[in-house]
Amino acid sequence: MTTEKVVVTAPNGLHARPVGEIVRIAKSFPDSAVTITSGEKTVKATSMLSILSLGLKKGTEVEIRAEGGDEAGAVNAIVNLIQSVTE
Amino acid sequence: MIIKSVASTSGYGSGKAFRLCRGDAAGTHVMSIDEAFKAERERLSVLSVENDIFAAHLEILDDPMLSDAIEEHLAGGENPLEAVASACDDIVSMFSSIDDEYLRARVDDVKDVCRNIESRLAGNFSGSLDIPEGSVVVADEIFPSDTSRMDLSKVSAFVTRKGSVTSHVCIIATSRGIPVALGVDIDMIADGDNLIVNGNAGEVAVNPTEDELSKLAERRIVNESESEIIQEPVEYQGHIVNVYGNAGCVEDVAKAMAAGADGIGRFRTEVVFMRSEEFPTEEEQFEIYRDAALLCGDKPLTIRTMDIGGDKKMPYLSTEPEDNPFLGVRGVRLCLANPGLFKIQLRAILRAGSYGNVRILVPMVTTSAEIDRVRVLIEECKGELSAEGKEFDNSIPVGAMVETPASVFAGRAIAEKVEFFSIGTNDLTQYIMAADRGNSGVSILYNPKDIAVKNAVEVIVANAHEAGIKAGICGEAASDPEFAEFLLEAGIDSLSLSDPRMIPVTKRLIRR
Repeated sequence: MTTEKVVVTAPNGLHARPVGEIVRIAKSFPDSAVTITSGEKTVKATSMLSILSLGLKKGTEVEIRAEGGDEAGAVNAIVNLIQSVTE
Repeated sequence: MIIKSVASTSGYGSGKAFRLCRGDAAGTHVMSIDEAFKAERERLSVLSVENDIFAAHLEILDDPMLSDAIEEHLAGGENPLEAVASACDDIVSMFSSIDDEYLRARVDDVKDVCRNIESRLAGNFSGSLDIPEGSVVVADEIFPSDTSRMDLSKVSAFVTRKGSVTSHVCIIATSRGIPVALGVDIDMIADGDNLIVNGNAGEVAVNPTEDELSKLAERRIVNESESEIIQEPVEYQGHIVNVYGNAGCVEDVAKAMAAGADGIGRFRTEVVFMRSEEFPTEEEQFEIYRDAALLCGDKPLTIRTMDIGGDKKMPYLSTEPEDNPFLGVRGVRLCLANPGLFKIQLRAILRAGSYGNVRILVPMVTTSAEIDRVRVLIEECKGELSAEGKEFDNSIPVGAMVETPASVFAGRAIAEKVEFFSIGTNDLTQYIMAADRGNSGVSILYNPKDIAVKNAVEVIVANAHEAGIKAGICGEAASDPEFAEFLLEAGIDSLSLSDPRMIPVTKRLIRR
């Protein structure tokens, strides 16, 4: 299992477009079960509706967790994406 | 028996009741949840090629949130039908409580998707609804996927328990002249009942008796003779009150003018902008505005400048996401924040002005300084057009949309700087009452007939008349005969109506 914490830096939090990107990345790692945890809630990274329901605002710390084939690659790709969102 | 509706769109329709029912046959199901999902996935995959609504539905269907919620309820001992309904309720209530525009907008999509799964489980789903000619479709609520499965030419009216006049079905139905009665107790209607829907009166007659039939027929004849077109302007107590049409495209202008409108009181330009990914060029805009101006002849064509913002976003405008879009950069604020794009529009309007009687209407004005800034830009455009040797209207009138509380209270200062006022009742009501017009939880407060809004209208009209300018109204409320009476008493100078069929009716009301 690979986990990594990342802080949302996008000024307006994570909205539909970047979240759609996360879902696409998570689905491109079909051998890994990828989740996102914010506070007490953990959701599947393949569910756009669930991620949006976390209401991730700027400054929120989230944990990305993956288990399975190429779990490190999956976590890395999602962390990079979250850090690169500037809109 | 006659049932009253809570709200309705205008027109008449009659025929046999055709009930759209959801899968409510307790516990009986003909296919498994997996089979139902598979079948829906196939149907939506085909539909989503042509229609984005169904692409969104497909995403929801395949989102693990829905399947996980259903599994949770199945594990809790519910049968498949109950589990889908409960999962739907869970998601809808969660989305409604989250401050995210995208999720809130998905509520109807989630309901639509779940309802189709339920119908499949219960075995009463059909890909195309085989509606007999001349049916009145009766349902709890009508979703986009329902209308896509119907041959609307066979529908003579819709009767629903839920929904609002701004909902999808009403927009589709109104564009085809089909009346919709909303907020009706549909338990009183059985499949096959003879129904007559009078959208103008907000009544649904169920299996009317001979007596009721003749009364309805009489009323209808009266109503039909009322739709005779009056071309000339009408007076109310010796004072001319112009009846204009609202328009969103050139076709709307043609319809309004054919119905005897005295001009166009509000030509919305968002539609022009939303058509393409790119900001429309000056030439593209000019051609649209010119064609609209030509259709109006010497009657005024009032072009409202871009009122994007709020909930509408354009790909070419890099607007920051806002926590409160309705209190954010919208209307004239957006125009002034993007002077380059705004000037393209102003140049197109000024040029169209040489083909007719064109007026500029500035949306969402809050201070008189905004009008000053708009005028500076207009003068810049005129200077450029002169230098380029292009024809334009050098004395184009500029008006302000009065729809913020500030423009009510600072109305005198604003009135000194413009040639006319136009009251936007939809936003004025929302801002005066502090009630989101799309939020059904506060729909009781969102009432243009509330005394607070009426008082504001009186102040606005007085502000305009003291400054020697005219005040008109555009907004749905102007079509309401009761509200129109109040407006006439308040001294309104024009009413601008969205439904062309209401133009002759309103002219007759004013003359009376």
